Amino acid sequence: MALKHKGITRIGYVRLALNDTQLEQARSFYANTLGMVQTANAPGQLLLRCWHEPYAFSLAIDSASENRLSEVGFQVREEADLDAVAARLEQGGIAVAWAEADAELPGLGRSLSFAIPGGHRLRLFVDMVQPGYETGYDAPHWVTPRRLRGTPAPQFLNHVGICVPDPKATIAFLKQYLGFYVSELIEDAQGAPLSALMFRMTKNVGGQELAIFPGPEGALHHIAFTKDDASDILVDGQYLRADGVRLDSFGPTRQPYGNTFSLHFFDPFGTRLELCTGGRLAEPHPGFVPVTWSESNIAGALSYYDDVDVEPFLAPSFAAAA
Amino acid sequence: MAIIRLSYASLNVTDLDQAEQHYTQVVGLRTTGKSPGRVYLQAPDSQDHHCLVLNASDRAGLCHLGLKVSVPEDLDEAAERAAQAGLKVERMAAGDLLGQGEGVVITLPSAHRINLFHYSETIGYEGGMRDPDVVLEHVDGINPVSHLDHTLLVCANPEATIRFLRDVLDFNLSECGTAPDGSMFLGFLSAGNTMHQLAIAPGPDGGLHHIAFYVGDRADVIRRTDLLKHRGVPTLEYGVTRHGVAGVTTVYFFDPAGNRNEFQCGAYETSGASGRVPPINWDLPSLGAATFYYEAAVPEQFYTVVS
Repeated sequence: MALKHKGITRIGYVRLALNDTQLEQARSFYANTLGMVQTANAPGQLLLRCWHEPYAFSLAIDSASENRLSEVGFQVREEADLDAVAARLEQGGIAVAWAEADAELPGLGRSLSFAIPGGHRLRLFVDMVQPGYETGYDAPHWVTPRRLRGTPAPQFLNHVGICVPDPKATIAFLKQYLGFYVSELIEDAQGAPLSALMFRMTKNVGGQELAIFPGPEGALHHIAFTKDDASDILVDGQYLRADGVRLDSFGPTRQPYGNTFSLHFFDPFGTRLELCTGGRLAEPHPGFVPVTWSESNIAGALSYYDDVDVEPFLAPSFAAAA
Repeated sequence: MAIIRLSYASLNVTDLDQAEQHYTQVVGLRTTGKSPGRVYLQAPDSQDHHCLVLNASDRAGLCHLGLKVSVPEDLDEAAERAAQAGLKVERMAAGDLLGQGEGVVITLPSAHRINLFHYSETIGYEGGMRDPDVVLEHVDGINPVSHLDHTLLVCANPEATIRFLRDVLDFNLSECGTAPDGSMFLGFLSAGNTMHQLAIAPGPDGGLHHIAFYVGDRADVIRRTDLLKHRGVPTLEYGVTRHGVAGVTTVYFFDPAGNRNEFQCGAYETSGASGRVPPINWDLPSLGAATFYYEAAVPEQFYTVVS
């Protein structure tokens, strides 16, 4: 084929370890309160997806003794992409690990994993089993399934925010080895990047699949899910509060950094979650130019509405428990 | 690599000044350049030189579409493959359109011309590229459209063009319409992760059904519809509605020359890889709900009026 999309085509999933022996609390929160679809029920593991996603899972949760981010998975176009990335990484002296289909996660095809600067593990894969769209393939209503109504029931995994000790190194790595582009960044007074929104996809709620924040090695900042509309997110905030969910300090807000309308909140384990809509459609093209924010304007970049201290928002997930 | 997105539409209009006024005042684009017989416009949240080129003409309709590719080498590859497929291939020189590099112009089986190009001058977002303010107050206090989202083209044999876009240019078919004989009469295709950038439907060869602009949210669609009615802009008789296809919230209206426009919003994401997820299928009995979900019917003019 003459013109062919190659490399990473989509953010696939985020995998968490949560301190929940039977995963009952996690199941209750993610299936009943957040409104995700549970796709498998294996001992010690919970697999969930959004109702608009055809793939087996976009969130994998393992029972563990501590809360942490395990890895983020990205889908690539074909096997040759895995080989190409592996070769590049090995040339750069970066260790890679291969896993056969179903060895790491049920329904996940053969995969390649490695650590990025900042300590997080990424996993690339070509195939994931597709249980299919919840609303079917023949003249679907594309309406939130009845059993999920009255919950946020997000449509897609949108992006994952990670904390890294050296944002510049992580950003450079993601560009060089995985072909990510920067859609927006926050610079300090010396012009060094403190934070960046990075993307490979052209999606309408777009501009980020990975968000890089300064913080401790390997930490999770937040997991964001896509919603159709800002007015939905206001109502979702009501559902969440009515279920006793703790919202982050901003409440529903316009986030100029990324141009989203967002609501940040916490699961029972301290995982920061986000519902977002808006964004900017970004182009994976060498001529694409990022929006740049000044550190001196960080409060205004993170919330257009709120006059509150931004420090709590910049703390990683699970910070209260740590 | 590949085509990454629908970048611009080049439209013919019968009165250039009136059309410019429509696309700046009603749609909320900014004028980014002018040359004899042409006006160039761009949406606030796109950073290239233009998403719309207006050409002075004696009739409305599509001149061509611009599709942006990720690496310059794609142009020669596309030219070669299109020629192999028996399609007419021409070259557009750098600078033939303001702010734009060389291009390869392919005439699709549908008789529409698509210009593949790699370089566009960057003019930046309307709010600026450094600490931009969220609000741009130039359309009656509501935020302007975000970007050019998609176009719907019509032609006598949709399947031939759908197949070329999918099989040669690597577009992903997200949803389609299938006739009782199994042929595809309707296709929604994207070169990225949106639900569609190009849609192909039945009608006269070379026809333009509409160009669509993405807006921030449903409240924007409602407010914009109020403004369209207030200003006497001709709209679809259903006003605000929803497509069953894609589930987006939408309103249709016309520019002064008679080219149909759409404001729409919806977050639908696709895999970004052709053939990975099976397409949604709409059969003939479901077409009413596919087109207008609330009304489950299609006004005659929606099928028959194209430019």
